[in-house]
Amino acid sequence: MGNMTEYVKMAFKNIIANKGRSFLTMLGIIIGIASVIMVMSVGDGTADAMNSEVADLGTGQIDVYCSEDASNEGEWITPEDLTAIREQLEGVDGVTPNDGSSGSAVTGKGEFAISLNGGTEDMQKSMNYNMKRGSYFTSADVEEGNRVCVITDTDAKRLFGSDDVVGMDIELNVNGIMGSYRIVGVAQQKENGGFVSYTYEGMPVSLSVPYTSFEHFGWESDSFYSATVFANDKVSGEEVAKDIIHLLETRHRCAGEEYYQIQSFQDMVAELNSMLAIVTTFISCVAAISLIVGGIGVMNIMLVSVTERTREIGIRKSLGAKTSSILMQFLAEAAILTIVGGMIGILLGLLGAVGACSLMSASMGSVIHPGIKASTILGATLFSCGIGVFFGIYPARKAAKLSPIEALRRN
Amino acid sequence: MENLIRVQDMCKIYNPGENEVRALDHVNLEINRGEFVAIIGHSGSGKSTLMNMLGCLDVPTSGTYYLNGKDVSTMKDNQLSEIRNQEIGFIFQGFNLIANLNAMENVELPLIYRGIGKGERHRLAKEALTKVGLSKRMEHKPSEMSGGQQQRVAIARAIAAEPPVILADEPTGNLDSASTKEIMEILKSLHEAGRSVILITHDNDIADQAKRVVRILDGKIVEDYYNENKKF
Repeated sequence: MGNMTEYVKMAFKNIIANKGRSFLTMLGIIIGIASVIMVMSVGDGTADAMNSEVADLGTGQIDVYCSEDASNEGEWITPEDLTAIREQLEGVDGVTPNDGSSGSAVTGKGEFAISLNGGTEDMQKSMNYNMKRGSYFTSADVEEGNRVCVITDTDAKRLFGSDDVVGMDIELNVNGIMGSYRIVGVAQQKENGGFVSYTYEGMPVSLSVPYTSFEHFGWESDSFYSATVFANDKVSGEEVAKDIIHLLETRHRCAGEEYYQIQSFQDMVAELNSMLAIVTTFISCVAAISLIVGGIGVMNIMLVSVTERTREIGIRKSLGAKTSSILMQFLAEAAILTIVGGMIGILLGLLGAVGACSLMSASMGSVIHPGIKASTILGATLFSCGIGVFFGIYPARKAAKLSPIEALRRN
Repeated sequence: MENLIRVQDMCKIYNPGENEVRALDHVNLEINRGEFVAIIGHSGSGKSTLMNMLGCLDVPTSGTYYLNGKDVSTMKDNQLSEIRNQEIGFIFQGFNLIANLNAMENVELPLIYRGIGKGERHRLAKEALTKVGLSKRMEHKPSEMSGGQQQRVAIARAIAAEPPVILADEPTGNLDSASTKEIMEILKSLHEAGRSVILITHDNDIADQAKRVVRILDGKIVEDYYNENKKF
């Protein structure tokens, strides 16, 4: 084996002597590797972009729901439950019920459908809103049931033609009962991303209000179907979720009834990610099939090459080449074809990924950077080497086993 | 002195059984160092089979073959490769040069398989090519050379590693008379320089130029004589 460099040189010489054929042989490998690299990079990039947008929306959110059984039994989530969660559980930054109502309002700009999101002052955390003017309503507002509201700047412009509206009142009609809400804060409307949308055409004007203010319209805000808990990262989300369930079950004496269910934001993100991973893996598998086809192409050409070069093999053997020398020479040839093909494929795949990502970024409105990972590239390289050796062995052995007399006789 | 080549009772049988072909039938042959021997016979006489045996390209069905003191007849494939590489320089009728290698690289081939380093390899190949008068054609590919020149490259390849035996199988079979003369002169000069040359041919004129003639017919040696008219 000491002559390995010589065999590699011979292999190179032969590949260069048959440039056109070598390139066509490599093409299969190039396309295979390029598509695997491209699909994986675009997939990873998409996941990264999605995660960063979703993280902006609010990580650490845990939604608690009442099951159907709990609803039937009247075991709703109560304001006292929420206070207990806030005060007794570790790792909880805030909690808000998810209460809501709808109505309408008439302004100088016309009549608008209004959606009311009722909650505590912690609701501010759910959207990570930046306040543009004024401030969010406070815990005192919640305690006293003040009719105050926070509106987004775009909605303010829809209603009044300006976002300088702090201190103004909105007259609401909810189920025929009139009530006026004072605007205490204007939040900056977030722009829609490629994955998360905050607004849509014809969306009702939405106001964030203290849930206690709904009492004005004649209903007691003392039981809720769902609530959102904001966990910090001191305790794991899973731990907090477990604690919430435990606390609620203790308070409602319903351990084991599965009255309360949890959906954490992380779970949703993880689910999305795993779906994306499945899609990426599937497409990569399809691309990998083309790699195997490429490998068979290499084997095919090597077999043709062995047949064509039978006489050369005979000459080499008569001059003293051992079986292992011939084996190495042909194996090196197959390996070089696939490795060089692999390198070109990686390059094209990366270029393709950059191109595809910029196209996607342009059409989706969110920036996707190709997720180029060293592991992907390393994996693709090793895989292409593996293919070269695997599919090269059969033709190389065939060449090496030729008897010199047989080989010299053929022409 | 020990014989360079000692063949005892060598048989080669193809298709053993009813349709067997006895290509070599109890052949005995001894060749000494420094001899210039022509093995002559018609096609089908068994001379090619004998050449394959002497060249260690094949092993006999029975009998023994000592080459340079080593029993070759029982060797395995890889050992035979080594023997061919170290003991024998082949010259073929069809030149058998590798088309995409230039003259220099062709001559270097057996040296590569011998494991000789690049610098030494270059030196030996250059020396051999100069000996056959091709010092100005070292970078030429076989397709850029005449038949005679190609055969001279093949001779250079055969002598570069200085093997004890030079085995030439119809070396002039594909050449015109001028080139034939040229090649024979080189072979003679190699012999004069002390090399052992074995020449396989069907041509009496060629055989007459050797010092000793071994005639083979139907797998048997039927004549073995020295050319008295030649001065060596």
